[in-house]
Amino acid sequence: MGSSIRHYFSVAACFARLAIQRQLEYPLFLFSWLLMIPIQYFSGIWMLKIIVDRFQPLNGWDFPELTFLYGLGLISHGIFVVFFINTWHIDRMVIEGAFDRLLLRPMNVFFQLVASYINFIGLIDCIPGIIIFIYGCQLVGFEWTLLNIIKLLLVLLGGVMIRAALFISLGTIAFWTKRNASMVGFTLSMLERGTMYPISIYPYAIQVLFTFILPIGFISFYPAAEFLNKSSEAFQLPLSFALATPVIGFACFFLSQWIFRFGMKSYESAGS
Amino acid sequence: MLQAYWYMTKMRLLTSLAYRFEVFASVGTNLILMLASVFLWKAAYGGGTQQINALSLQDLTTYTVLSIMLASVFVCGVQDTIYYKIREGQIVTDFYRPIPLLACYLADDLGGMLSAMINKVIPLFVFAALFFGVPWPASLAGFLLFIPSCLLSYAILWLLSALIGLIAFWVMELGNMGMVKDSIVRVLSGSIVPLWFFPESVQTVSKFLPFQYTYQTPLGIYIGNIGIQDALAAMGVQFIWVALLFILLAACWKRTKSKTLIQGG
Repeated sequence: MGSSIRHYFSVAACFARLAIQRQLEYPLFLFSWLLMIPIQYFSGIWMLKIIVDRFQPLNGWDFPELTFLYGLGLISHGIFVVFFINTWHIDRMVIEGAFDRLLLRPMNVFFQLVASYINFIGLIDCIPGIIIFIYGCQLVGFEWTLLNIIKLLLVLLGGVMIRAALFISLGTIAFWTKRNASMVGFTLSMLERGTMYPISIYPYAIQVLFTFILPIGFISFYPAAEFLNKSSEAFQLPLSFALATPVIGFACFFLSQWIFRFGMKSYESAGS
Repeated sequence: MLQAYWYMTKMRLLTSLAYRFEVFASVGTNLILMLASVFLWKAAYGGGTQQINALSLQDLTTYTVLSIMLASVFVCGVQDTIYYKIREGQIVTDFYRPIPLLACYLADDLGGMLSAMINKVIPLFVFAALFFGVPWPASLAGFLLFIPSCLLSYAILWLLSALIGLIAFWVMELGNMGMVKDSIVRVLSGSIVPLWFFPESVQTVSKFLPFQYTYQTPLGIYIGNIGIQDALAAMGVQFIWVALLFILLAACWKRTKSKTLIQGG
């Protein structure tokens, strides 16, 4: 067992080294991400500020609270894209036959899938996320107690798991349809709108959807509502929301692993 | 001559129409953006019927819906086309053609635009009408001015896109500079939040930039926030930007062509 884990670690480290080299190959590529990601997210929060300043708080969420929510959602997105970005590319691997290579090696297929491309560029997503979140914490007067920090880490872990589970399940579709790239874009924009704005601004049906069917609300909205003591929000669930996120995250993740294994059974190689 | 361009436009139109699944997903994505933005405005108005900057919730709903439709119609693939063709070395075959290179790419984008009209705008319009009521223009005159204003907007966007594309000739690996430009345009064009709500200083600066004339001008005309007189003046500014960018592109193109380096064999 111990040697097996060590083996997995050494393979992951080797993959990571290759990934870094690949990503540093084109400096302008890196530079363009470095420009684009902060522009995109800082302008996003800036526009929320403009709206709140000209109008009024959104369903009781004022600008400091919105910043907190936006930052929390963005950090979990950033961590997700560092570790799980390859789940977006399952269709390409299936079409090009690269997936066969994973099946031939004596290692867990899912591990190889995600470990073979650790996306260091994704750390760029984390930077505006952390800045916006810390700014939001300042504005709302978030207390950095040990308990709160542990809760926060658990929420982030759960949030990343929920995102990963969604994209793994989505990627599995590629085993049947051979392509789902456009579905990825669709899900990304849904996640963005579902985690960076309070879901209580949406109609009841969408809130139900984001709570019970696709638990996107647990990535940032419910935890933020809990941290900020906003009681009269959407649904009242019995558990403390901050604790519910990791539980739901792991449940979704295991479910998605099951779906992934089920999908692999119907995998047929597209390579020649 | 024109036949050659029409052929390219038609081919692009037909290939775009062939990918049904992509179209469904794209309509779905735009639908989510539309719903999210409209509900955001609803929350901002908070059920009240007050007007802010002389705009009602209905005006902003129409503005948002139309903005998303325009975004899916304004196909500016030229920046990516140049980038990929240079990367793959295919640009050489395009230079062989007896018609100007950039005009080919424009014909291609126009084909994309026509197909987007059919398979993206119509479904989005139907959904928008079902959810929020038909987004009528404020007046017939407004609608009649909206169309030419959109064409000028597209010209500005396309020229900007082509200018970015030209950078690829110099640096080979352009990366996502096109997306950097797109994210700046998205904010400063007023496509998400109209610039009328932005701080005064930003509005002043923006008057001297081409971006607000790409989305805000036609949309403002459509919802009647820009009167006929102002609309004509704004379209004049649009025209000036088209002319300036065209001259700039022509000048850059002359110097760039000689820089062409063919990769691969």
